[in-house]
Amino acid sequence: MKKKSSALLLSATMIVSLLTACGGGGDKADNSQPSATSSSGGSSGGTKTVRFATWDTGDALKIQQDIAKKFEESNPGTKVQVEAYADGFDQKLAAGFGATNPPDVMYMWDFPTYHQSLEPLDDYASKDASLNIDDFYSGLFNYGKIDGKLYGIPVGFTTRVVYYNKKLFDEAQVPYPQDGWTWDDFKDIAAKLTDKGKKQYGFGVRASNDTYDLQGFVWSNGSSFISEDGKTIEGYMNSPETAEAIQIFGDLVKNGSGVLVGGKGQQSGEDIFKAGKLAMWESGIWPLAGFKEAGIDIGTVEMPAFPGKPVKGIIAESALSIAKDSKQKDLAWEFVKFFVSNEAIKMRTADLPVRVSVVNELKVDQDPLYKPFYTMLERSDNTPAFLLNAKWNEVNRHLSAAIEAVVHGASAQETLNEAVKDGVRYLK
Amino acid sequence: MLKLLLKPFSARLSYQSIRTKLLVCFLIVTVIPLLSVGALSYYQSAKAIDSQFGKYGENAVAQLQQQTNAYLTRMSQTAATIYSYLLDPARSGLGDRSPGTYREILDKNNFENFLKALKTERNAGIYIIAKSGYYYGENNLDAAKLDRIPAWRAMPDDPTGDHWLGFYPQNHGIKDPEEGERLPVVLGLAESINNPYGALRGSVILIEENAEDLLRMFELFESDTQAHLTIADSQGRVVYETASEYEARDSDIVWHKDIEANDWTIEARLPAKSFYRSSGLIRSNTVIAAVASTLLAFALAYLFSSRFTARIRRLKDSMQKVSFGMLQTRTKVEAKDELGSLDVSFNNMVGGIESLIREVETNERQKKDAELRAFHYQINPHLLFNTLNSIQWKARLQGAEDIRQMLYHLTMVLEGNLDISQELVPLGRELRIIEHFLKIQEVRYGPVFRYELECDEALKKYPIPRMTLQPLFENIFFHGFEDGEGTIRLAVEDEGTLLRLELTDNGAGIPPDKLQKLLLPGEKRKGRGGLGLRNADQKIKLHFGVQYGLTVKSAPGEGTTIFIKWPKKEENPHGHVDGND
Repeated sequence: MKKKSSALLLSATMIVSLLTACGGGGDKADNSQPSATSSSGGSSGGTKTVRFATWDTGDALKIQQDIAKKFEESNPGTKVQVEAYADGFDQKLAAGFGATNPPDVMYMWDFPTYHQSLEPLDDYASKDASLNIDDFYSGLFNYGKIDGKLYGIPVGFTTRVVYYNKKLFDEAQVPYPQDGWTWDDFKDIAAKLTDKGKKQYGFGVRASNDTYDLQGFVWSNGSSFISEDGKTIEGYMNSPETAEAIQIFGDLVKNGSGVLVGGKGQQSGEDIFKAGKLAMWESGIWPLAGFKEAGIDIGTVEMPAFPGKPVKGIIAESALSIAKDSKQKDLAWEFVKFFVSNEAIKMRTADLPVRVSVVNELKVDQDPLYKPFYTMLERSDNTPAFLLNAKWNEVNRHLSAAIEAVVHGASAQETLNEAVKDGVRYLK
Repeated sequence: MLKLLLKPFSARLSYQSIRTKLLVCFLIVTVIPLLSVGALSYYQSAKAIDSQFGKYGENAVAQLQQQTNAYLTRMSQTAATIYSYLLDPARSGLGDRSPGTYREILDKNNFENFLKALKTERNAGIYIIAKSGYYYGENNLDAAKLDRIPAWRAMPDDPTGDHWLGFYPQNHGIKDPEEGERLPVVLGLAESINNPYGALRGSVILIEENAEDLLRMFELFESDTQAHLTIADSQGRVVYETASEYEARDSDIVWHKDIEANDWTIEARLPAKSFYRSSGLIRSNTVIAAVASTLLAFALAYLFSSRFTARIRRLKDSMQKVSFGMLQTRTKVEAKDELGSLDVSFNNMVGGIESLIREVETNERQKKDAELRAFHYQINPHLLFNTLNSIQWKARLQGAEDIRQMLYHLTMVLEGNLDISQELVPLGRELRIIEHFLKIQEVRYGPVFRYELECDEALKKYPIPRMTLQPLFENIFFHGFEDGEGTIRLAVEDEGTLLRLELTDNGAGIPPDKLQKLLLPGEKRKGRGGLGLRNADQKIKLHFGVQYGLTVKSAPGEGTTIFIKWPKKEENPHGHVDGND
């Protein structure tokens, strides 16, 4: 009895000290700052990690992450680390190359700038029959080649078309534009569909344009920004045909049937189009889903033609490249190949399929909304300026300023002359 | 009065004192170490935690200060870089109106490229807003909406120097936020350009940094420490404050830091109660544990002591019953511990007392019976002695000297026998009575026997039970001798504390079978023989103790020797003798 009770007392005392210890410990744990250090990447244990950098965000990024997951599933022991660089893509990619620690696989379009850091893929493409290279739209490979070497496998692309708001056309009792229409038709329709009282405009003119996108118009007028050998801009960038094509936009703003969009204090063209205040809008495939979502009854039509001249298109393409410094190029190639497999391409709904077989299977080109994109693809056989001269980015600064001046009211011919004067020095 | 009140209590206390003492003992043994260990551990851990928490809070606030300072410094630096860019005379082409010409646009593009290069990941916006409302920077700003920033609205029309705009949602984009869309909160700095040289004089550089991370840090700090955070600018205007209501008190624990970049102050207040919450938690835990253990100890002690004292009380009650005379009372023996053996000895003792008392009762009754019998036989001695004396006188007058002699001796013997006032008589007196008895026998049988006495005078004063020796002598004459012939020898010796009497005759002796049963009590006697021996033995034992008494040695035809041993006792003046009762 006595022994028992003393043992109990002892344990009671111990309980007290335990409680105290617990209380102390608990509080300490509460106070300690959570060390939120998430180690980024790195292959651990038996898993191999492929780093994949993309500029996409939002839904497009989600699709890529899903594809990456699928790849992980079909390749056990492999992990794909999707690195979404978004706006900082060029900065981060350049930094990665500089530190010889680039992602293994990356989205790529600016091959002239980066090709020295990229792995030539000709051998992979030709040796690996499972890529089925002939199934691709052949024109797409041109964009990924520098000096005859292939640096990127196209994964998605778009051409540019004119979207139009059917409701506004119906209200104004203007027939929908048809393939083969001309710039005169375009100006005519734009003027008819402008109603300043309703703040409704025929067309939206970007305050600052990407000159890349304008090349289609210039080519359609039989000109280009730079000579085919990439050495001359004089007489190209400031040719009367180039000036004429650019001037159209300046005039639209001047005569009021076009409105400046996307500039300082201005809404973007897409937003105005979605609000139903824009009859026509020129763009790639990207805003299509958004327009549908906004409930706009849209139609698409190929670009207008200059009288007697063939309409030319330009392709905006995304490709996948492998870094020269990658330590696991074979695995990277497997990932690239998976990314352009039929399975993955079908998952990609934000741009157009690169494989003919997928297009045929899904009958994408039969859809009237998509058809003009494929018509424009057929018309896209010119080489964009940045592929012709490595210094094009410098020249382009002047061209951009010139075009911005034109849409703000300056004369296209004079301004382009000035820009050429400033730009030629980079080509010497 | 107090005494009256205390009395029952103290009585109770004394009554339950063992239980109370046990309880108190238990509690002291339990509670003192418990409380001291509890108090010590509480004190130590509370001290450690308080100081740790204090340090942690200090560090956390210092971290917030550093982070905020880093943000502000970065913003200041960005503004300063833009400022110095604009000081370059080459930038004089930048006008405060919308550029329209190729050159103006080129300058604008260069400037905006420069701004883009300055932009970091955290940067939410870099704009240079001209007086006209035109601005340089990314095209996503609606300059007209800048007035939605309270601090911007509060700026004078001709601002000079730095204006820290504090934290606000970046709600001045071209696109108004959609329903439910949460705008990022930014930290803003407006720096006016008013140097007399360079471009864009009178314009304002607006730098906005995404402050979500910083605010998250604040929130983390707030939720971590439960402290109230306040950031105020140099004029004391609140830039940031924890959302919850707070009433500042003097007792608050305050961590205060200055932010160097723009003289903001960051202050975290914590009510003293919250600060000591952790240690308070330990304290209450300790107290709960101590109370619980004390109760446990109390319950155990109570249980134990009540079991313990209950047994003692039962024993005590039993004793009380016994003291009231209920000798058949026995207590229950519950365990083999000390109390159990106490119970056993109590039971044995009461059993012993009971049987003793029963024995005493029997003895008393026997004694009374004997006395009654004696009384019955008692003849008025005066009548007897007077008669005998008369006869004696008659015999003398008639010259019958031998009869007178006989009567005289008979009177003396009877006097000895009939005087029952004393149980113990001096040995000398007993011997004198024997002399008279022998004279009578001599008259009866004639001088045919011999009597030898060996006894020191000094020994004659020691007492011996009355009528011890005479029956023995009677036995010798009636059983041992034939017609009174023989020799009797009586010797008394001093053996230290004892007296040893030896009575020898050379008579017929006692047959062995009779001899064996001679001294056993309760043995039915055949005939009269042996009664004297047994009575003498019993008398000695009754008066002096069982270790004393008679022993008999005898062989048929060779006589008998009787030994008596009894202690020396002084006769007291009252004629009674101390001895066993």
